[in-house]
Amino acid sequence: MTDATDTAVSAEGLTRVFGVRKALDCVDFALPVGGFLSIFGPNGAGKTTLLRALTTLQAPSSGTARVLGLDVVRDAVELRSHIGLISHNPLLYPDLSAEENLVFFSDMYGVEDVSGRVRDLLDAVELSHRRFDLVRTFSRGMLQRLSIARALLHRPEVLFLDEPYSGLDPHAMDILDSLIAQIRHEHTFVMVSHDLAKGLELCTHALILAKGKVARYDEKAYIDDTTFAAEYRSVVGLGVA
Amino acid sequence: MPSAPATAAKARPARKLSWRQFRAILRKDIVMELRTFEMLTSMGLYTLLTLAIYAIALSASGNGFDVRLIAAGLLWLAFIFTSMLGLNRSLVHEKDQGCLEALLLSPVDRPVIFFAKAVGNLIFLLIVQVFTVPLFFLMFLSSHAIGGQFWMIPLSLLVGAVGVAGVGTLLATISVNTRGRDFILAVLFVPLMYPLLLAAVGATSAGVLGGQSYVADFWRDMALAGGYDVIMLLAAYGLYEFVIGA
Repeated sequence: MTDATDTAVSAEGLTRVFGVRKALDCVDFALPVGGFLSIFGPNGAGKTTLLRALTTLQAPSSGTARVLGLDVVRDAVELRSHIGLISHNPLLYPDLSAEENLVFFSDMYGVEDVSGRVRDLLDAVELSHRRFDLVRTFSRGMLQRLSIARALLHRPEVLFLDEPYSGLDPHAMDILDSLIAQIRHEHTFVMVSHDLAKGLELCTHALILAKGKVARYDEKAYIDDTTFAAEYRSVVGLGVA
Repeated sequence: MPSAPATAAKARPARKLSWRQFRAILRKDIVMELRTFEMLTSMGLYTLLTLAIYAIALSASGNGFDVRLIAAGLLWLAFIFTSMLGLNRSLVHEKDQGCLEALLLSPVDRPVIFFAKAVGNLIFLLIVQVFTVPLFFLMFLSSHAIGGQFWMIPLSLLVGAVGVAGVGTLLATISVNTRGRDFILAVLFVPLMYPLLLAAVGATSAGVLGGQSYVADFWRDMALAGGYDVIMLLAAYGLYEFVIGA
């Protein structure tokens, strides 16, 4: 059990209802600061809804969720300064250049020394040579790298990753792995993934979501990969989503 | 109160950031439009088509018909339908490219997004007006003298455009999250714009036609249009947080 002050992300009775369908049904968990939570589950299990609720994009129907002690509904504006989202959708403007996109989001987050920060991040994601090119001309891997730079602009404490490896070729996956490794010790991560091996490799905590409910939540230390994989397969195989 | 200075100090940077965010969204919309000409091209072409249809329809009315009697209505009709086309595009490109989510993830007060989008839309609507009005006068009113005073026409168009941009931005945000977004915008837009249309057409008409007490009529209609703008902008300001998050 972690102390409340050490908790980076938590949910208590978190429920989200769409019409008569419960996308999230009383979800409870607490992730300590510096942890890496991998969320697994079949399609329609509620993974993206959970991520949207934690990132303030979707208000819960009932229950509470807190990130760094801030309530996702009541303190939403304040909380957004402390979180970043890397999604399979790059969340970038195709008709702006790489640099223009980063400058725009720097302004939105109130980043100081914009030109220095943008230059550093473009260097870090190896896109300095394409800084003036329109984003619509970028490959999937380049988009994802730029998306990481966008998410890190304001130095968020908690990073949410929504299927970040989706659609990447092996080389782009290696670059993403290396970028995550570089910033791993500075951030708390919450990642939604279908890739069990990758998720378990990175995480300190793992959560299986099925039919909107937490089927299992544990620290990595208490997880046996083989048993966990079998458990996950039984959840997916039974079509409980 | 000991906490007051701290609160005030916190409020100042927040206001500064809001202003920076407002400028960033506005600049981004203008840069992207000038790069793609998506909105301006579609609105400009639609206006030209509408004026061409007017020309065909009015050519059958003969020389005895005084076009000035319906000029204000024709101008506003073209303007309203054209603006619907453009307003829809302003939010659709954010939504379709997934960028609306990125915008909503940033620590920006939702009314800041509203005002930046509305001002951007107003600028594009005014650009279309700048091209449409002279063309309209050239095509339909070149052989008729203006009965009122010319400045009344652009002023009434400007005040009307403020309401169109404000309400249109709010409705475009509502409709962008629905399946039949084009249909929804049209269905909501025209009834909500009706009071503004009545006032704006009246004010523009006073400028075109002149006649007895046209100056008093103009200012009465302008007051109505201005009042509508203020009420609807305040309503949009209050509702935008709910609307964009829905």
